[in-house]
Amino acid sequence: MRTWKTGRAGALTTTLTTALMTALVGTAALGGPAAADEKKIKVYLSLSYSGNAWQSEAANVVKALAATPPYDKLVELKEVISGTDPQAQISAYESMIDAGAQGIISFPVSATALNRVVKRGCSKGVKFFMYDATITEPCAYNVSYVTAGFGENSAQALVNALGGKGKIFLSRGVPGNSVDKRHTDGAMSVFKKYPGIQIVSEYYSFWDDRTTQQETGKALAAHPDVDGIWAQAGEYGAIQALKDKGSKLVPVTGENSNGFRLALMDPAAKQAGLTGVSAGSPPATAGYAFKLMMEVLTAKRKLEPQNIEYPLPWVPADQVKVCKGQKFEDGCNAFPPNVVPNSFVTEVFNPELLPELSLQSALEGKPTPGATIQPLPAEVKRAPNSPGINCQPCKGPADEYKVTKVEVKPAR
Amino acid sequence: MTPATLDPALSASKDERRVTRVRPELVTVLSTFALSALLIVASRFVSPALGSWGQAATVVSLSSFLIVAAFGQGLVILVGGLDLSVASLITLSAVLCTTWVGPEAGAAGILLIPAILVVCALIGAVSGLGITVLGIPPFIMTMATGIIVAAGALGYTSGTPRGSAPAPLLALMKGEVAGIPLLLIFTAAFVIAAAVLQQATGFGRRLYAVGASARAAFVAGVPVTRTVVAAYMLSATASGVAGLMLVGYSDGATLRMGDSYLLPTIAAVVVGGSSILGGSGSFVATVGGAVLLTTLGTVIAALGIGQGWRTVIEGSIILIALLLLRENTFARIRSWFPR
Repeated sequence: MRTWKTGRAGALTTTLTTALMTALVGTAALGGPAAADEKKIKVYLSLSYSGNAWQSEAANVVKALAATPPYDKLVELKEVISGTDPQAQISAYESMIDAGAQGIISFPVSATALNRVVKRGCSKGVKFFMYDATITEPCAYNVSYVTAGFGENSAQALVNALGGKGKIFLSRGVPGNSVDKRHTDGAMSVFKKYPGIQIVSEYYSFWDDRTTQQETGKALAAHPDVDGIWAQAGEYGAIQALKDKGSKLVPVTGENSNGFRLALMDPAAKQAGLTGVSAGSPPATAGYAFKLMMEVLTAKRKLEPQNIEYPLPWVPADQVKVCKGQKFEDGCNAFPPNVVPNSFVTEVFNPELLPELSLQSALEGKPTPGATIQPLPAEVKRAPNSPGINCQPCKGPADEYKVTKVEVKPAR
Repeated sequence: MTPATLDPALSASKDERRVTRVRPELVTVLSTFALSALLIVASRFVSPALGSWGQAATVVSLSSFLIVAAFGQGLVILVGGLDLSVASLITLSAVLCTTWVGPEAGAAGILLIPAILVVCALIGAVSGLGITVLGIPPFIMTMATGIIVAAGALGYTSGTPRGSAPAPLLALMKGEVAGIPLLLIFTAAFVIAAAVLQQATGFGRRLYAVGASARAAFVAGVPVTRTVVAAYMLSATASGVAGLMLVGYSDGATLRMGDSYLLPTIAAVVVGGSSILGGSGSFVATVGGAVLLTTLGTVIAALGIGQGWRTVIEGSIILIALLLLRENTFARIRSWFPR
């Protein structure tokens, strides 16, 4: 049975593999002919990719909430991960609709590619709740912070920290992604106002710590005299790249990783020149979207499909506070380094909207012992229009990139 | 036919063909390193801060992962295969390292690091056996192994890898001995050991023999199955080592850690002049390829141009390097000039 002696093993293997694959594909997609409890509400969780802390925490909190009483008796939740290409997510949605889904909660991989299949689902009565990323199909609910101004506010904070002049890097997200574009457009609307701000390097870091560290390292090799870094998710990598290079740190604005927040409050790092603000994308959005969806599906809330804005997390360096327990309590917003990994996204909690969650829910998708689902506040905040992000065709408001979190200092 | 030529002891005599083999390879090695040095010097035109020791240090640390992973890929390509599970094994070893060992590991915890490499080697053995015994094409087998391993890492961590780097790995990546970065010493030692294994041992010879023609090697008495399985085991172990180094570099693990290394390992091997069909190549040239690709990355990153053009330039330069550094390029150029 050796390849270099033409054997028949190959043919046999092929037959076996093909048979196996056919059997697998037939049953894998939606967990096979599950003995579904007919009385339970059928909800699907559709992820695009998994494998970074953000995505798994978002999925974990949805799973944890679905297992928290009374929802554990009410809802049957199935998770499908379809990868980074839109066509895979389209076919996942198709299967879910055909399997009789009543609700689909999802991180959509494209703002436009999923519109047709979502429309078909809506016409069959499926409720679509999109978290964090959004789609432009009006029959879906979008629950996102994306219109809350991460880009322009963090850019203004960086400009203020630099006194309106200096060389900066832009560490961006995924090329061609609508969220990356919205953040960068917002940031550029601020940077353009300050002639003293020079963008000396702009690179894509794919919202990943290690890629950010490598790309920032390369940029630092060319521009060791950089004065500040504006980063999207992956910012902890930028901090490490600065530390790799030597002792001098610079102001950095970024998203919500635990490592970044701990660095911002570290006196030694502050001494070396680090300051900044931690804002950006909260995985908590997924939990909020799921609870809204369940209130709609159980007829506790009347809510037409619309764009809902989740508030922008905003933690400047002087407001980082380490938690003692398993949750955000007493205004704390970060965890000790031995409790969670550096890449852990802190903003997975929200004491008002998601009091049911603890570290266990975020890390393992397990419900917090003794917790029960608490009702959400009646009010939801409508998100402004953002062309190509949450509506199309439409016009954004005139003050789309208005800075709301920090003082706008005049250019000198 | 004198009886002497039939003496089996002579079959283990020094291989005279090596003398003719080594020269074109040497040319490739020298060209890749010369090109890298040229790029570093020329990059001053791109940005005045480049072309310095600082940049060289960046290149060393960024290329070290690629050098280690490309060694394994090179062995597998040498025996006429391809290892597509590199990315998943890098990720797996990183994830196991942060969860099993972690920052508070004592001496007992550090002993788990070799255990991680053993796990990687076993996975490599599975790939190798699937290819040799079951006759599954390397491309498919390693892809399948890679998918299974990646899924295993995802399930094991429920998506969030815990923990951070153990102290020895941090020291390896950031430490210095008498002003010389420990990483540089480690990489140099690795390159020497790996080059000796591939170019100067009986095992290395057998790899070349199997890559040149598995059937001929089999007839000549080379244990083909064992050799091929060993190549895949070494490749998986090398990926594992690269994963451990990445943990030390970025003080933690992510599930996409290895994704950006798979294609560069293949590119480094091929740019280093190895035949993608197996049977020829040298590891030192692969190192040159890895250094060249990384240098290129740092220079292109410093160009203030859009991502699209950056990628176009990167792709074009790989092609140009490949065409220039092929073993027979110089022979061809000579053939244009009739003597």
